[in-house]
Amino acid sequence: MKAVMITLDQAHYAQIVDDLARLNIRGFTSWKEVSGRGSKTGDPHYGSHAWPSMNNAILTVIEDDRVQPLLDYLKKLDTEYENLGLRAFVWNIENMI
Amino acid sequence: MKLYNNAVKNPVGTSLIFIGIVLIGLMFYRQLPIDLYPDIDMSMISVMTSYPGAGSDDVEANVTRPLEDVLNSTENIKHITSRSRDGMSLIMLQFEFGSNMTEIMNDVRDKVDMIAGFLPDGVEDPMLLKFSSDMIPVMVLSATAKESTNAMYKILDDQIANPLNRIPGVGTVSISGAPQREIQVNVNPQKIEAYNIGIEQIAQIISAENINVPAGNFDVGTQTYLLRLEGEFARSNELNDIVVGSMGGRPVYLKDVATVKDTLENRVMENYTNGVRSASIVIQKQTGANTVSIANAVKEQIPILMKNMPPDIEIVTVMDTSDQVITSINSLLETIILALIIVGIVVLFFLGRWRATIIIMVAIPVSLIGSFIYLYITGNTINIISLSALSITIGMVVDDAIVVLENITTHIERGSRPEQAAIYGTEEVSLSVIASTLTIIAVFLPMTMVGGFAGIMFQQLGWMVTIIITLSLVISLSLTPMMTAKMLRSTKEVNLTGFDKWYQKAILPLLDKLDRGYAKLLRTITGNRKKTIGLMILIFIVGAVYSALTMKTEFMPQSDNNDIAMTIETPPGTRMEVTRDAGHRIERMIKDKFPEVEIVSFSVGQASDDNTFAAMQDNGPNIMKYNIRLSKAKFRTKSIFDVSDELRIELSGMPELHRFIVQPGGGNTGMGGSNNLQVEIYGYDLDATDQVAAEMKSKLEQVEGLRDIIITRKDYRMEYHVEFDREKLANNGLNMASAASVVRNRINGLVMSRFREDGEEYDIVVRYDEPYRQSLEDVENILIYTPTGKGVRVKDVGRVVESSSLPQIDRKNRQRVVNVEGSIYKRALSDVVLDVDKVIASTDLPSGVQMEISGSVEDQQESFAELGLLLMIVSLLVYIVLASQFESLTYPFIIIMTVPFAFVGSLILLAITGAPLGIMGLVGLVMLVGMVVKNGIVLIDYINLNRERGMSIITAVIHGGRSRLRPVLMTTLTTILGMIPMAIGTGQGSEMWQSLGVAIIGGMTFSTIITLILVPALYSVFGGNGVKRNRRKHRAKIKAVEGVESDTIEVANA
Repeated sequence: MKAVMITLDQAHYAQIVDDLARLNIRGFTSWKEVSGRGSKTGDPHYGSHAWPSMNNAILTVIEDDRVQPLLDYLKKLDTEYENLGLRAFVWNIENMI
Repeated sequence: MKLYNNAVKNPVGTSLIFIGIVLIGLMFYRQLPIDLYPDIDMSMISVMTSYPGAGSDDVEANVTRPLEDVLNSTENIKHITSRSRDGMSLIMLQFEFGSNMTEIMNDVRDKVDMIAGFLPDGVEDPMLLKFSSDMIPVMVLSATAKESTNAMYKILDDQIANPLNRIPGVGTVSISGAPQREIQVNVNPQKIEAYNIGIEQIAQIISAENINVPAGNFDVGTQTYLLRLEGEFARSNELNDIVVGSMGGRPVYLKDVATVKDTLENRVMENYTNGVRSASIVIQKQTGANTVSIANAVKEQIPILMKNMPPDIEIVTVMDTSDQVITSINSLLETIILALIIVGIVVLFFLGRWRATIIIMVAIPVSLIGSFIYLYITGNTINIISLSALSITIGMVVDDAIVVLENITTHIERGSRPEQAAIYGTEEVSLSVIASTLTIIAVFLPMTMVGGFAGIMFQQLGWMVTIIITLSLVISLSLTPMMTAKMLRSTKEVNLTGFDKWYQKAILPLLDKLDRGYAKLLRTITGNRKKTIGLMILIFIVGAVYSALTMKTEFMPQSDNNDIAMTIETPPGTRMEVTRDAGHRIERMIKDKFPEVEIVSFSVGQASDDNTFAAMQDNGPNIMKYNIRLSKAKFRTKSIFDVSDELRIELSGMPELHRFIVQPGGGNTGMGGSNNLQVEIYGYDLDATDQVAAEMKSKLEQVEGLRDIIITRKDYRMEYHVEFDREKLANNGLNMASAASVVRNRINGLVMSRFREDGEEYDIVVRYDEPYRQSLEDVENILIYTPTGKGVRVKDVGRVVESSSLPQIDRKNRQRVVNVEGSIYKRALSDVVLDVDKVIASTDLPSGVQMEISGSVEDQQESFAELGLLLMIVSLLVYIVLASQFESLTYPFIIIMTVPFAFVGSLILLAITGAPLGIMGLVGLVMLVGMVVKNGIVLIDYINLNRERGMSIITAVIHGGRSRLRPVLMTTLTTILGMIPMAIGTGQGSEMWQSLGVAIIGGMTFSTIITLILVPALYSVFGGNGVKRNRRKHRAKIKAVEGVESDTIEVANA
């Protein structure tokens, strides 16, 4: 099992949640209105007067074989809408109930 | 959940809610009454008291003064003016506009009741009358006839007035100028003297003979019958056979001593329309009724009623206020539609997208139509004020939608899907949209609280604009994002149409070039900011000096409503017949020389006693009142002002006229029409004030631009007094009252009975036959019977002397006053006032005489003071709104700096177009405060944004300016171009709004140019100062810290 943390411009949110089901991913946890800034390029997402846009975060824990299709899908989405900003990070799950 | 979020997620509900608003608005629009002005309470009460037999100075001392003294303490009173005439006192109380008249009316009634007991015996109870704009006739028809002239009153009363009275909303229909039937008993004095009969006796006998008496019930067998004595005359010639006395045992019949004539009353006001004797039918409406629908119903009814009328009777419309209402409203509607088209073109030009243009244009009808709901609920009417509110706001309601749409488009171009772009794009600008709407509200809402005349005028405007703008804000935060989400496509899906291709090739490079040019300009400005600011200040000073030197002011613009009223007098005492002949000559002259005149009607003669409305105006055998109706303004080259001026020249060439006034715009328009100027001369001494008035009149005639200078004090009138010798009267057992009534009955006549026919009553007047009351001897020879039955002649107990008296004494604010009045032609009010002030200063006044200038100037000063105060309050409020939005005191200051430039721009454009600054122009300036700061807000907001994003001041200014240029230009151009139809308006009544339109266009244009240059320059200076200050603070802190450290080291060393 792997955990995939997706931080995304909130404009992406509705579509990604829709498409998770299509990628056979049912479970996820999301945080609405989180702020942050990318390491290299892109506008900060602060929800402030100067940087009004905001991020959402989605955490989903999935089988190992589902990780790559998800990342591929996200990569495609990111290149399609470069200006919006979308990142995903994967780490291991040690245990669960 | 936020409004725009909801709206985008629920497109069906959102669109249906707005469709519902539009439907309700349209439904209410159909039911809204149409009128020229909002309901204006004229805030006037008159107190009319008659004191029969008293001369004007007695009336003044015994009736007018005590009443004035007690009424003076009424709350909210502005002026008391009074006229004391022979036998009558008329006090006019003018209250502050906007006072609660019901309360004041009660107050006045209490005060009058309180003093009524202290007035001399013989004074009748004072009569109170409240004025309102409903008293102005809706329509005046004029009926002319040939054969039917004598029966006209009855025909008109039965067949026109009564049916018209049944039209819903019609208040009263009254007929004037048609003589009523009268039975005259013209007595030959020699014969009655021979038979020893007095006129009083004859009148009493007639009254005793002309009577029906019920004599009770009586039973005959099984039935009960009513017994009646029917003595009333069935025909007027039965009067001839009445026995009025006996002589030598034989009866004396009425026909032996008098002739009975069944005829028309003779001393009445006569009306002539286009040279033919006519009767006026005056139609007034009930309070709150719809002028236009009444006028339409009347126009529909007349042809139907005409079918039953004698064929020689013709009816024409002399005055129709609905005409003016309809043309004014229609020309405003044209203005609105024109503005709509212009705004559409501007939006399309800048956005280059059909869909975006449609989304923005939807905001206009929805917010405008929504405002009808407010009008309906508050019981207002569609009038020129409420419609102008629509025309003023048309360019402003799109502003919010433009800002929102522009930002959403940016998001879409960045790659968001339309739905998300709509939500987040709206969210980003929602605050600045709300703030700029608040600045507009901060301007218009205080407008609803202004006092005085201006307050009445602009209260509705303030509410309308506030509501429309609020509605447009709601639309821009709900409907606009919703429609954008549904209608705009993301950049990838757009199919290029032919228009798009053309736009990208022809227009887009132009706009890009403009952006680049502006960015270049900004670089120069920020490089030379001190010089730029200096240059701007120089321009401001030059502009301010220029406009201060050329500025002319006025009260209200004069508007051409196709009507001219004239009051023409022949020398006092002239017989009505002579005056009438002069009247016909004038009428022919008008018809010959002025082809643009359609209808000339005039009235001449003394109004009858029962016509209260006419009695309150000037009337008399030597006074003629003209109403002249010209063809519609667009069909003629001369304005009513030019025609009036030519009429004055023609009239001054007629030696038989004593004086005349020509009033372009008609007598009772209330607003519009001509500006006038009065010099009030106060003083108790009639001779002294007369002298000053005559001097002022001749001096004022020299003043350029003043016309029709008249002195309002009536001329002394020649009259005969019968002076009885009390001793001789007493010797004969007579007193003053009995002797006087004898004389009155013989000359004026005695009415003691009425002749009844077909349910109508006609007076039976007994008096001397006309040939016996035409000379002084006839008066002297009147026989008075003493209680013992002996007859004495008037000349035996008194004498008839010739004298002169003042028929009327005018007072204002409890002092005797003479007004020298003039109307203004083709010159600004302020210029004339300057000249008149010089004249007043150069006049030496006798002691006890004061002089004051009033008229339109007074109204102007009052309104200007009110609006000046409003301007200050509004500027402060706008500053407060800005400061709280920017959370800073500096940026709002930079923004508000553009307001004075806007004023200068307005005044310069007003000077160039030659329009003086009136209250309309001043209101335009007030509006500008809210409108010009919008550009500043957009600009500074974005520059701030750029700085927060980490740009340096100069880069932020250049980058921000460049990217905000288009929205600024777009919103400004929609506002300016939307005003253009109003500013160059040619329709009827458009004069009123022209100066407002010109002021706003001038101010907006000038201030936008200044904003685009001055704001960046000021920003870079203030921003730079801010940075330097921060650096200094920072250095000071570092120094302080270092200092403390070195101190501690020193201490440690010690």
